[in-house]
Amino acid sequence: MFNKSDNESVQNRNWNVLVYMTAVFVLFVILLFRLYSLQHTHYDENFQRSENNRLRRVELVAERGFIYDRNGEVLVRNRPSYQIALQALNLPRKKAGRDSVFNALLHIVDKDGKRMFDSLSLDTAFQRTRWIKNRPIRILEDASPEQVSIIEEHSEKLPGVVTLIESRRAYPYGTLASHVLGYTSEISEEQLKLPEYENYSQGDRIGQKGLEQFYDQEFRGTNGVKVVEVNASGREISQVKGVDSKAPIPGLHLVSTIDLKLQKVAEEAIPDTARGALVAIDPRNGEILAMVSSPRLDPNIFSLKKRERNKGWAQVALDSLRPLTNRAISGTYPPASVFKLVTAGAGLEYGVLSEFKHYPKSCTGGFQYGARYQKCWGSHGNLNVVNAIRLSCDVFFYQAGLDIDMTRINEFGRRFGLGEKPLGVDIPGEKAGWLPDSVSFNLRNKRLGWRWARGLILNLSIGQGQIVTPLQQAVLVGSLATNKGVYRPHFMKELRDSEGNVVRKYEPEIVRSGKMKESTHRILMAAMDSVVNHPGGTGKRGRVPDIRVGAKTGSGEWKKGEKTHAWYAAVAPLDNPEIAVAVIMEAAGGGGAVSGPIARKVLMAYFGKEDKK
Amino acid sequence: MSSGRFLDKSLKVDWFFLFLTLCLMVCGVLLVYSATNNEKVVFYETFWFRQIIYFVCGSAIAAGIVFLRLDWLKRMVVPMYVAALILLVVVLFFAGDVVKGAGRWIDLGIFKLQPSEFAKIAYLLTISYWLSRHPVSLFKLKSFVVPMLLFIVPFALVLKQPDLSTALVFIAVTYVGFFFAGLTLTDMFLLASPLLSVLFSHSQTTMFQVLWGLLICAVVFSLVRRRLPKILTVLFLVVNIFAGYASSMAWNMLQPHQQKRVNTFLDPMSDPLGDGYQVLQSLTAIGSGGLKGKGFGHGTQTNLAFLPEEHTDFIFSVLGEQFGFMGCAVILVLYFLFLWRATSTCKLFSDPFITLITMGASTIFLFHILVNIAMTIGLMPVTGLPLPFLSYGGSFALTCMVLVGAILCMRFQGHRQ
Repeated sequence: MFNKSDNESVQNRNWNVLVYMTAVFVLFVILLFRLYSLQHTHYDENFQRSENNRLRRVELVAERGFIYDRNGEVLVRNRPSYQIALQALNLPRKKAGRDSVFNALLHIVDKDGKRMFDSLSLDTAFQRTRWIKNRPIRILEDASPEQVSIIEEHSEKLPGVVTLIESRRAYPYGTLASHVLGYTSEISEEQLKLPEYENYSQGDRIGQKGLEQFYDQEFRGTNGVKVVEVNASGREISQVKGVDSKAPIPGLHLVSTIDLKLQKVAEEAIPDTARGALVAIDPRNGEILAMVSSPRLDPNIFSLKKRERNKGWAQVALDSLRPLTNRAISGTYPPASVFKLVTAGAGLEYGVLSEFKHYPKSCTGGFQYGARYQKCWGSHGNLNVVNAIRLSCDVFFYQAGLDIDMTRINEFGRRFGLGEKPLGVDIPGEKAGWLPDSVSFNLRNKRLGWRWARGLILNLSIGQGQIVTPLQQAVLVGSLATNKGVYRPHFMKELRDSEGNVVRKYEPEIVRSGKMKESTHRILMAAMDSVVNHPGGTGKRGRVPDIRVGAKTGSGEWKKGEKTHAWYAAVAPLDNPEIAVAVIMEAAGGGGAVSGPIARKVLMAYFGKEDKK
Repeated sequence: MSSGRFLDKSLKVDWFFLFLTLCLMVCGVLLVYSATNNEKVVFYETFWFRQIIYFVCGSAIAAGIVFLRLDWLKRMVVPMYVAALILLVVVLFFAGDVVKGAGRWIDLGIFKLQPSEFAKIAYLLTISYWLSRHPVSLFKLKSFVVPMLLFIVPFALVLKQPDLSTALVFIAVTYVGFFFAGLTLTDMFLLASPLLSVLFSHSQTTMFQVLWGLLICAVVFSLVRRRLPKILTVLFLVVNIFAGYASSMAWNMLQPHQQKRVNTFLDPMSDPLGDGYQVLQSLTAIGSGGLKGKGFGHGTQTNLAFLPEEHTDFIFSVLGEQFGFMGCAVILVLYFLFLWRATSTCKLFSDPFITLITMGASTIFLFHILVNIAMTIGLMPVTGLPLPFLSYGGSFALTCMVLVGAILCMRFQGHRQ
C-alpha cells in the first residue's frame, strides 16, 4: 500500500491521470495537425499523385496501311506479332522477388525442352528495368503462339511479365517485288537525328526502302492515346472516358500501279541466280506495271525476331551479288545499242539523216577512224537508218554520230528521259544517268587526265560510254513510241483511307517534253518494228503473235573478256503503245538472245496470249 | 464526473465506454469491408465477416472477465506470468509459421496463438500487482530491482523473436506503471531524458544542438530540484551527455551503407520504390482524401491495391482516403473519449491495483494508436503495430477485447468490494 495517507495518494493519483490525459490530448492534436497538413495544405499534390498512380496514358499505335496491286490484290498486309516484355513497375520491388521471376523465366522450356530465354539477355533486360520504368522492355521478340501460351500458363509466377501484341508487316508473296515494296524495321539512331524524322520516337517501326519508306507518313496514320485506370500491379482495370482519349487513325492504304499477274510472270522469267532487272511501264501515264531486280531479298526477314533477322541481314548485306540494290532504278549501265534509237532520232530530227540516206562507207566488219579501227559485230553492207537499227549496225552509227554531233544527240536523249536528272519515281534510291559531251566528259575525267577526243563520238553514238538505268531505258522506248511526252514513272495509283474512300489520286505529270517530228516518229517506229518482225531483226525472239511489238536490243560491253550486258527494250503495240518493257541481264550475253525472251514473256502475259506447244 | 444518467458513477457498468467500444468496432468492420470487398469469395471467408466473428468471441470473453473477482485475479498473477514466459520460449524454438521473416505464432490447429499478445496481458497483470504492493521511488533504488527483473525477461524474449514494436509496448506499460506507482513528473522526465538526448543529437544542425543544450539544462535543473542521491545525479548527467556524444560518434563510425539503412528506416521517403513504398502510398492515400474524403468504397488507392496491407497495419490510410480529415478527426475523438472513459474508471476507487490495471490497459491502447497512426502519416518508422478495433486481425482483436473486459471488470468488481 502507499505510504502516504489514502486521501493524499488518491489526489495525487487523480492529478497524474489528468497529466496523462493532457499528454494524450497534446499528442492527438499533433496527429490532427499533421493530418490537416496532408489533407488540406498538401491536398493538391497528393491528389495528383493518387491520380497519377491510378491513370496511365497508353499510346494506341495506328494500324499501318496496306499495299494493293492495281487490281486490289493485297501485296503487303499486317500480321499480329507477340512480344514478351518486362513491365518494370509491376515487377516485385524486393530483390528476392525479382530473382524468383528471373529464375522462373530461366527455367521455362518450350515443347522441345529448350530454354526460351538465355540468361545473358534476360539479365540485361532486368538491369534495364531499373532505369526504364515507363515502358515495357522486350525479352522475347515475335514469340510464337505456343510460346505465348506457355508464358500465360506460368503467369502466376511471373508478375511483371506481360505479353504485348504488335502489328508487323507481312509480305504474302515473299520476294515478289521486294525492292519496290521495301521493308520496315525499328527506326535507327541515325535516322532519329535527321530532321525529317522529328515526329518519330525510339522504337517506332518505320519503312525502309521502297514504297514503305517513301510513303511512310501516309502508311503510319496517327497514333491515338487512351487513359486507363490501373491497379498497383499495372493491370488495366478500365478505360477512363475523358478529354484526353483519342482513337488512332489507321494509316492510308496504297493502291499501287503494280500488276500482280505481270509481276509474277516477270519474277518467274528472271531466275534468282542471275543479276538483272526488268521494268514494265505504261508510257501513256507513267504507271509502272512491274519491276524486278534480281537477286531478290525476302522483306519478311526484317519483321522476324532479332536473332533470325540479324542472320538474314548478314546474308543479304554480305552477298557479293548485292541483292539489296534495286537494280531497276539504282543500277547504272551503258545503254548499248538501244541508244542507237536516240542517235537515229537526233539525226532525223535535225535533218542529218533521212529515211533513204546511205553513208558512203558500207559495213565490212569495221570502220577506220584515223589511226583507230572500230569493229562492228558483223558485216552488214550499205544500209539506210531503218535497216541499220534492224541489224544494229555500228558502222552506220559511227558515221551518223560524227555527222550529228554529241550535243544534238544528247539533247534528243534528254527529251525522252535520259540524262543526269532523275525521273522522280516515287521510291527512294533512284540514280541518274549521264550523257557525256566534250564539256562534261572533261570535267568528270579531269582527275584521270582524260581529254575529250572526237573519236569518242564513235563509242558514244552506239551507246558505249553513257550511263542509264533500266527505268530510263523503259521510259525512253515508251515515250519514243507515244511521242506525247515523258510521264513521271510512279507506283502510287491512289491512296485510300481505311473505309476505302480515295483520299489522293496520282495525277500523271509530264517531266520531259518527249516530242519529235511526225516523220522522225514514223521512221523510228518502222525501225523498231523491223527489229522484231522483219527477217534478220536482232529482236526476233521477242515477237508476240498478233501484236505489233517494237524493240531494240543491246549488248553492253563493260569489261574485256566478260560476256556483255544483255539489253532488250520493247514497246507494244506500236500503233497505240500501252506497255514498254526494258530488260537487262548483267553479263549474260547478247541482248536479243537472252533478254528478248524474257521481255516476250511479259508482253505475252500482258496481252493475255499463251504459247501453243 | 458528470452527473448524467449515462455517466453515473454509481453504475456498475460504464455504458458510455461500452458504446464507444461498439462504435469503434463497427467502424473497424466497415473499414475492413471497404478495404477488401473487391476480393470475390463467399461471405463467410471474407475479412470483414471474420472480423465480426473475432469481435463476437472477444466480447464473450470480455463479458466473462467482468465477473472475475479481484482476489482471484491477484491469485492468477504467478501462473499467468509463468505461462506467458513458457509460451514465449516455446515460440522462439518452435515457431509454427514464419510471417515476414519472424516466427511469432504457435499453430494450435483451430487458431494460431500469438504468445506476445498473451504476454502483454500477463505482464500488465503481473507488473500492476507487484507495483500496487511495492511502490517505487528514486530514493530507494532497491525498489526497482524486482520490477526490472519482471520486465526484462519477457522483454528480451519478445525482442529475440524479433518483434521490436511489441517489445516497445512492454516499455510503455512499465514506464506508465512507474508513474502511477510513486514517481513524480520530474522523475518521468529524467527517465526519458537519455532517449531525448539521442534524438536531439542525432542530427547535427544548429537547431538540434540548441535543443540538446536546453535539454541538458533542464536535466541539471531537475536534478538540483529533486536532490536525488549523488550516485543517481551523476548517472543521469553522464548518461545524458554520453548519449548525446556517443550517438553522433557511433553514427560516424558506421559504414555508409549502414547509415543508408538507418536513414531509410528513419526516412522511408528516400527510397520510394523500396522500403518507402508503403509510406509513400499511405501518405498519398490519406492526402488524396482531402477534407471530406472520396466517399465510402471510392478509395482508388485502396480499390486498386496500391496500398500494401491495407486491411491490417494501414487501415488508417483506408479511413483517410475514403472519409478525409473529417473521418480521421471523428475516429481520433472516439479514441480520445475511449481513453478518457478508460482512465476515469480508476478515479472511482483508491485501490492502486485498479489504477495500475486501468492505466496500463489504456497505455497499451494509446501506444498502439499513436505508433500506428504516426506510421501511416509518415511521422514514425514503419513498424508492425495494428490499430485497436480498426485493423483486421484475430489475435489483436481478442487482446483488445480482453483489455476492455479488464477495464470493465475493474469498475464492476471495484463496486462490489
